[in-house]
Amino acid sequence: MIDDILYIVERYWPLLLEGLKNTIIITAASYSIGVALGLSLALLRSYGPKALAAAVTAYVEAFRGTPMLVQLFIVYYSLPAFGIVLDPLTAAIVAIGLNSGAYQSEYFRGALAAIPRGQWEAALSIGLRKWAAVRYVILPQAWRVALPALTNELIYLLKYSSIAYFVTVPELVFMGKYIGSRTYMYLQVYTVITVIYVTLALTISEGMSRLERRLSVPGVSITGRGQ
Amino acid sequence: MTVVLKVEDLWKSYKKNEVLRGVTFSVNEGETKVIIGPSGTGKSTLLRCINLLVRPDKGRIFLDGEEITRPGINEARVRSRIGFVFQHFNLFLHLTALENVMLGLTKVKGMPKEKAEEAAKKALLSVGITEDLWHKYPAQLSGGQKQRVAIARAIAMNPRLILFDEPTSALDPELIGEVLKVMEKLAKEGMTMLVVTHEIGFAMKVADEVMFMDGGRIIERGPPQEVILRPKNERTRRFLSRIWELYDLGVRG
Ligand SMILES: Nc1ncnc2c1ncn2[C@@H]1O[C@H](COP(=O)(O)OP(=O)(O)O)[C@@H](O)[C@H]1O
Ligand SMILES: [Mg+2]
Repeated sequence: MIDDILYIVERYWPLLLEGLKNTIIITAASYSIGVALGLSLALLRSYGPKALAAAVTAYVEAFRGTPMLVQLFIVYYSLPAFGIVLDPLTAAIVAIGLNSGAYQSEYFRGALAAIPRGQWEAALSIGLRKWAAVRYVILPQAWRVALPALTNELIYLLKYSSIAYFVTVPELVFMGKYIGSRTYMYLQVYTVITVIYVTLALTISEGMSRLERRLSVPGVSITGRGQ
Repeated sequence: MTVVLKVEDLWKSYKKNEVLRGVTFSVNEGETKVIIGPSGTGKSTLLRCINLLVRPDKGRIFLDGEEITRPGINEARVRSRIGFVFQHFNLFLHLTALENVMLGLTKVKGMPKEKAEEAAKKALLSVGITEDLWHKYPAQLSGGQKQRVAIARAIAMNPRLILFDEPTSALDPELIGEVLKVMEKLAKEGMTMLVVTHEIGFAMKVADEVMFMDGGRIIERGPPQEVILRPKNERTRRFLSRIWELYDLGVRG
């Protein structure tokens, strides 16, 4: 078994590396879209005009209430009917990013709601306008509160990025299947892939908790570090 | 005498609950007025109306002669001229003591950072918050220190008036004194203040006028010696006798 694994790594490392690269690209890009979108949606839903907030709610429920795979197929196969043709990698990034945005908006919304009312009142009382209060008082606290959930989301996306396989993006799982079909050593191949995923997840976890520690302020983060 | 704050026939209800029922008074420049009264009688609501955090149903409020309750008023500008000290301090939790005081200076007044820092340090020193505490976060400060930082945050904005909503009610008894001392000093220096408190010792010493609120109205007002020592109204008398009891038991003061 060890020999088989070494053989696979030795023989197919360029393919594995290519798969790893695509997995990282999908994860990083869709996560970035998700953070930006999620934050904007949460702010609109929490503090924006009523009509917009309702539209955001509809968006969030639609994306949370349907399978991500269906969303991916819609982006990849149905958008061309409206003149929007995306290559597989872009389609995967867009679909996963839109989906993640819906989830992340909920994390951010929860974090915004968790900021004590008194913080708002104090911000307004010194003469900050609503959006300045959000920017300088509410957000800096809210995103520290949201950080643990955002870490989990990044690890989810790392795993969910594999659905790009269904629109033929050569990411890690795709490469695993391909190498398996060439060598018939499925178990060994998937062991290698698993090790790669776990290593990535641990790295993310460690990186994020370092970030959390660096940003942690006594009395602010919900993890309670440094209190 | 310059009138800084004038409150004219203020009414406010929450649903069927009439919280303010025709409150009228004014505060002159350099005066300290104290409001006392049982809880739930609308004292906080009154202060929040003055700071435009709550819109009254009826009545008008003037700051330096300008009606601030008129539609279309620049609320943020009005608030920047009125300090507010909260019962639960409400320091910005993610900012150090120094940064708490600086935020309004840089983001509201548009001061350059160095100048804001200088002004903030001056304000902190004036409330007895020394250099060793400037870079501490609120969670690392005692209640008394927090409240003094909150007062510094208000002072630094150079407001026309500071509102205090039970500034010592959330403090351990042994920390109340340091906050009252700072407030007393502020009053002596000529700050215009409107203070909701049950600290009758403070009121006796500092207040130019004491107003007793009950059921959304000011039912008795006058110099502290009269309202506190010789209240005319039956309800004032009953309320004060309870406060005196606490005083004698040594729970406060
Ligand atoms: N935002 C609000 N919504 C509904 N009721 C409120 C609100 N704020 C205050 N009240 C009610 O108004 C009354 C007066 O409250 P408050 O002004 O806080 O009194 P005090 O400060 O004298 O204790 C209370 O009965 C309180 O429940
Ligand atoms: Mg109150």
